[in-house]
Amino acid sequence: MQTVTLTPKRSPTISIEAEMITPDAFAGKSAAEIGAIGAWEGNEEITLADIFDVAVDGSGDAADTKIIIDGDVPRVKRIGEAMTAGEIVVKGDVDMRCGALMSGGSITVEGDADSWVGREMTGGEILVKGNAAYYAGGGYRGETCGMRGGKLTIEGDVLDYLGEHMCGGEILVKGNARLLPGVLNWSGTITIEGDTTLPGGEMKSGTIFVKGKVLEMLPSYKDEGTEEVDGVMYRKYIGDLSRNGEGVLYVSV
Amino acid sequence: MAEMVIKNGVVYDPKNGVDGERNEICIKDGKIVDNVGAGAKVVDAEGCLVLPGGVDGHTHCAGKINTARIMSPHDMRYAPVAGLSGPEPRTKLLRPQVGYNTPNTHGIGYRYSKLGYTTIAEAAITPMMARHMHEEFESIPILDKLALVLLGSNWQVMQYIQDGDSEMLKSYMAWALLASRGYGVKIVNPGGGSNWTWGKNVSGLDDKVIDFDVTPADILVGLAEANEALNLPHSIHVHCNNLGIPGNITTTLATMKLLEKVKASQDRQVMHLTHMQFHSYTGTSWMDFASGSDQIADYMNSHDHLTFDMGQMIFGPAMTMTADGPTEYRNARMFDAKWSNYDQELEDAGGIVPLSYTPQHFAHATMWSIGLELALLVKDPWKVMFTTDNPNGGAFVNYPEAQVLLMSDKKRQEVIAGFPDMTMDRISLPNIDRELDWGEMTVMTRSMPAKMLGLDVKGHLGAGADADVAIYDVKPDKVDVSVEHEAVKKALSFAKYTIKGGEIVVQDGEIMALPKGKVYWVNAYENGIVQAEKDRLMTDLEERFKKYYSIQLSNYMVEDAYVPRPVEIRPEVA
Repeated sequence: MQTVTLTPKRSPTISIEAEMITPDAFAGKSAAEIGAIGAWEGNEEITLADIFDVAVDGSGDAADTKIIIDGDVPRVKRIGEAMTAGEIVVKGDVDMRCGALMSGGSITVEGDADSWVGREMTGGEILVKGNAAYYAGGGYRGETCGMRGGKLTIEGDVLDYLGEHMCGGEILVKGNARLLPGVLNWSGTITIEGDTTLPGGEMKSGTIFVKGKVLEMLPSYKDEGTEEVDGVMYRKYIGDLSRNGEGVLYVSV
Repeated sequence: MAEMVIKNGVVYDPKNGVDGERNEICIKDGKIVDNVGAGAKVVDAEGCLVLPGGVDGHTHCAGKINTARIMSPHDMRYAPVAGLSGPEPRTKLLRPQVGYNTPNTHGIGYRYSKLGYTTIAEAAITPMMARHMHEEFESIPILDKLALVLLGSNWQVMQYIQDGDSEMLKSYMAWALLASRGYGVKIVNPGGGSNWTWGKNVSGLDDKVIDFDVTPADILVGLAEANEALNLPHSIHVHCNNLGIPGNITTTLATMKLLEKVKASQDRQVMHLTHMQFHSYTGTSWMDFASGSDQIADYMNSHDHLTFDMGQMIFGPAMTMTADGPTEYRNARMFDAKWSNYDQELEDAGGIVPLSYTPQHFAHATMWSIGLELALLVKDPWKVMFTTDNPNGGAFVNYPEAQVLLMSDKKRQEVIAGFPDMTMDRISLPNIDRELDWGEMTVMTRSMPAKMLGLDVKGHLGAGADADVAIYDVKPDKVDVSVEHEAVKKALSFAKYTIKGGEIVVQDGEIMALPKGKVYWVNAYENGIVQAEKDRLMTDLEERFKKYYSIQLSNYMVEDAYVPRPVEIRPEVA
């Protein structure tokens, strides 16, 4: 078992591209080796040691590596990008695209996540204990397939376009979701325990559960009556008919 | 400029009858010459393949590709062809590069040069969009460029054909080339672009165009006759009606027969048919859709008035972009894909849809086969131009892949082995064992496109030609392309040397210099049209611009400042 602890040394105002903060990149490396890994702060090349105190305990492969970021890193982007195994725990906030393209392992963000958390993830688990911003579990700009697998849980609220272009996997939001969750979806399951607005716009297929209120409903969904799922009574809708969609939207009654 | 001599190369120069000989190529002041002095810089080709610089006679590289870039931020990160696609950071010499199907302008210049290409033809631009196209041309380094101007759904053209006023048609054609600093005449889905203004299309050569008493057949013959009357270096360049529809071979063959009655003004085809692969389908629906390449090849083998290009498909993501607006709308609906579509006032339509082709889909596998069948079944390589209709069939960085497919039956069989069974009774490719030799390949990628376009100084290595030369790390005497296709593909992807206008621009696959290319355009107006006819045309155009155009005639012409390195060609007046 290898534990890598990164303690933030300063609060940068310019975002840092840090896609190398993964168990895959850190496995088997010493503190000095990890500290020497390059990153970009704006247009300047820095090393991880410039922004973190690095401590390493033990050694292991990626699956056996745990990274602890011991504090807020609201300007550090792409933490855990494309990770395949192991664990990352952030004891604070993260910047955009945390866990993008990840295929395995787990990420826990104890604070808030910025936009595109879990973008195009295909496996593994992400837990955000605070809020997430736009496009949680969404796609890359211009692509037509977002999150494809794995599980994304957000205990707080999310902003617009949750699970945009989702192609698979599971998203759970315990708070509210703002505009258009599940927009342009192909597949997968989204559960929103709070309230939301205009769910499932142009959804082709896939499933959305809303356990709170739908503050505004799209007119292009067909009412299919009520249905009980896992002991909860829902009104069931099919749509988005504007796209000949066969998605299922359950709204708690 | 310094002199240069290329020694010890194995030279293929089909136009001058050179077929794999160890000739020296002498260069002086950017031109090929017979002799140079003893002090000339020596480039030792060490037994490698020496060809004229590549000529892409049909590519979409400026103009609506910009809309495709806007639609496709995701294309920036695609990098399926190592070293020729995807993000590349800035270097001391080079600008940053991104993209695959829609690279940035600089990337287009760098990557074509790495492939050994030195001249490209933007295949479809309306006069209205020409100004922007020239601005893009200006930021595509190294390459010489030219543009084909869309006239096949143009209101002026249709009006003058309807009036039977061949003099006005001729004057307008010459003026449109002048106004857009264009090189030749392009016709896309004749009449269809105009009907698309009303949400309609044409279904074949004999439909009426809405609000005009003309048919697509009238437009084709009218423009072909005007083109020949003006003695333009290039023939009409035609994208037939019904692109991509099963059974469209009927329309294609009818279009080919239609042009039998027009006589070419010079020693070249009277019509070039583009991306033939998309127009060679039999059947009545996608269920019974199959290759019609044998019928097209039979016709081509027994007639000499036409040329065509392949429009070869490449598997993977592609970006369709065409002035054929209704086709793009159909694509978007069929594939549930994102799309843009536009109407260009009196001049044409257009649309863009990103697609992806896969060998697991029988229809895509069939289309892939048709492109190769067409090139292999037509006996005379001087009738066939190598293209992928970049980036409609696939990105140009894949040219070496498709070129090797034409040279290796083994490689073709390897791909075909992965096709679904539903493909096999639709194609004839498995039974075609022809493998192109280097001479034939040189014709299809260099000599034929230059001749087809009427560019005397391109596509060959005779004295007087532009000193555009590609040298590849392939030993034609020693390599068996059929077997060693992967190594040959790699060599064709990164030229050992690309020489452009006598300057080494690529060495060992790396860009060495960034000269600015020239823009070829045809001025048939100045001397070709008498003053009385010019006056008559301008009187009519002033009225039409006032009535119908969103911009003033005075703001319409591409000014000289947009074409800083022009090569103006004035056709001989008959």
